[in-house]
Amino acid sequence: MKKFRFALLCLLVLLALVLPIFFRSNPYNLILLTTILLYGVLATAWNIIGGMGGQLDLAAGAYLGLGAFTTGTLLIRFNLTPWIGIFIGGLVAVLFAVLVGLPLFRFKVKEVWYALSSAALVEVLRIAFIMWEKVGGPVERYLPSYGSALYMRFGSYIPYYYIMLTLLLAALFINFWISRSKLGYYLIALGDDEDAAAVLGVGVRSSKLKALMIYAFIVGVTGGVYACLYGFIHPNFFSSPLSTEVAILGIVGGMGITYGPLIGAILLVSIRELLRANLGGQLESLYLVIYSTVLILIVLFRPRGITTLLQDGFNKLFSRWVRKNHAE
Amino acid sequence: MDALIQLLANGALMGCIYALITLGLSLIFGVMNVVNFAHGDLVMLSMYIAFWMGSYLGFDASLTPLITFPLLFIVGIAFYYSLIDRTLRQKYVTQIAVTVGLMTFLRAIAQLAWKAQPRSLPYSLISGNFQIGSVTIMTSRLISALVSILVIVVVAIFLSKTWAGRAIRAVSDDFDASSLMGVNYKGTYALAFGLGSALTAIAGGMLMTFQQVDPTMGLRFGLLSWCVLALTGLGSISGLLISGIIVGCAEALAMGFWDPRARMLVVYMIFILVLWLRPRGVFGRK
Repeated sequence: MKKFRFALLCLLVLLALVLPIFFRSNPYNLILLTTILLYGVLATAWNIIGGMGGQLDLAAGAYLGLGAFTTGTLLIRFNLTPWIGIFIGGLVAVLFAVLVGLPLFRFKVKEVWYALSSAALVEVLRIAFIMWEKVGGPVERYLPSYGSALYMRFGSYIPYYYIMLTLLLAALFINFWISRSKLGYYLIALGDDEDAAAVLGVGVRSSKLKALMIYAFIVGVTGGVYACLYGFIHPNFFSSPLSTEVAILGIVGGMGITYGPLIGAILLVSIRELLRANLGGQLESLYLVIYSTVLILIVLFRPRGITTLLQDGFNKLFSRWVRKNHAE
Repeated sequence: MDALIQLLANGALMGCIYALITLGLSLIFGVMNVVNFAHGDLVMLSMYIAFWMGSYLGFDASLTPLITFPLLFIVGIAFYYSLIDRTLRQKYVTQIAVTVGLMTFLRAIAQLAWKAQPRSLPYSLISGNFQIGSVTIMTSRLISALVSILVIVVVAIFLSKTWAGRAIRAVSDDFDASSLMGVNYKGTYALAFGLGSALTAIAGGMLMTFQQVDPTMGLRFGLLSWCVLALTGLGSISGLLISGIIVGCAEALAMGFWDPRARMLVVYMIFILVLWLRPRGVFGRK
């Protein structure tokens, strides 16, 4: 079983590596793939704080925007290449996460109130950056297009796909690693029952803070790449719809399962984009009506995530295969 | 000084409407502990229905609650039985996911039906303004505030004097004891959800007499009402009015003295600070 899984994993990674070759002629498809990967990275990062730690964080847009603005501003003002800028962006996001997380966890803001205050945070940053004209302001700021790989600007979308893929693999690896570490077990315990975990000696506050920092770093770095991908920065990057969507992808995919949020992202984002492409035009929002209906149905009938459906199917298939081999 | 009083008056009047919106949210959250992310979008929806009735059927916006109140009551009950009831036994995360789905759904419906541009009604029966000293009061805002206070008082009486109202309070106080005393919890939950949704219809109709509506309004009213609720805590109806007025005034002062764009910034900052410092609210019971 273990060998089989490893083979499957290698096959999937190989597939992800060669996928752009089939789609290279059509930039739309490349953007679509990159967008799916982007949401995959965000949802996988969210899994650390949301899935394992059970803290419903709705502030992905805040860290994404901070990463994007740091990277973008460093490039515009100081000509610093995004290859370094994205990591500084990640660090700025971490700093912000610490500033927010310390009082939040100190004053035991949890569950609903944690979700709501993180949602408010995104809007606070968005408005603050619209008002802060030196860095943000209501108009897009375009990144200088030196058109060279040194400044993370390419002629095609293929490199962005591979950058996102690298981020995704890193996020998955970090996720996997944490789920096997002490921090992971602490997070799962406190996600289940915070008071019980605290009684058993789990450092609730420090575990939550660590999870939040790792999450913020990954999302911040992704934000830097996001800015380069679109070629501009705008306060609307601090986006509430994106933040809630990241959490929804994590929930629908399967909270706490390492690859669950990724599967949620692949399924839902492709459904959404396919609907948008086919129904767009005159009926602009029809795709959202259908999309949200699908989403509600999945949550109602598979509250533990759509990945559990795949797992059940996989296990059934595998056990049948084993039985057949035994019979022969 | 005059400007200050003017701003405070406007803010206080708006605050009464905020209190009314929050009353609906407080009923839903207080009684069944369900986090309704779609509450603000119900306000938006009833504003759009008021707009539609005003522009096509010639209704005055201030009279639309007569029809939208029962309508939203039914919509709320339908939401309860179709969605919320199935998630009561689940983790709160699942509930939030469902109401976020509902929120996206309502917003998409609004965009589909009314496009993304802001809509407003040209006139209303209660438009106009009058002077008190140096302060100009818009009649529509004053009447909206008075209606809001009236409705809040009526709901308070309903909760304390009628059997159904007492059942709602009993379930929110102690679920097990009340169901042992013969309270039908499903019916009570449905009633609370329907009533909570229907209250947004009154707020929406009154808001439509002097405001425009656009599909992003849901998020604003949603977070705003959570802010008022956080400030109040659960179970205090007079506290609801006070915190509504505080939020309304803070918003108006930010608009007048700082920057019109900062209005929501101030509200969200209050929200975050209250959550950090007084997680149980300022006026509520424990």
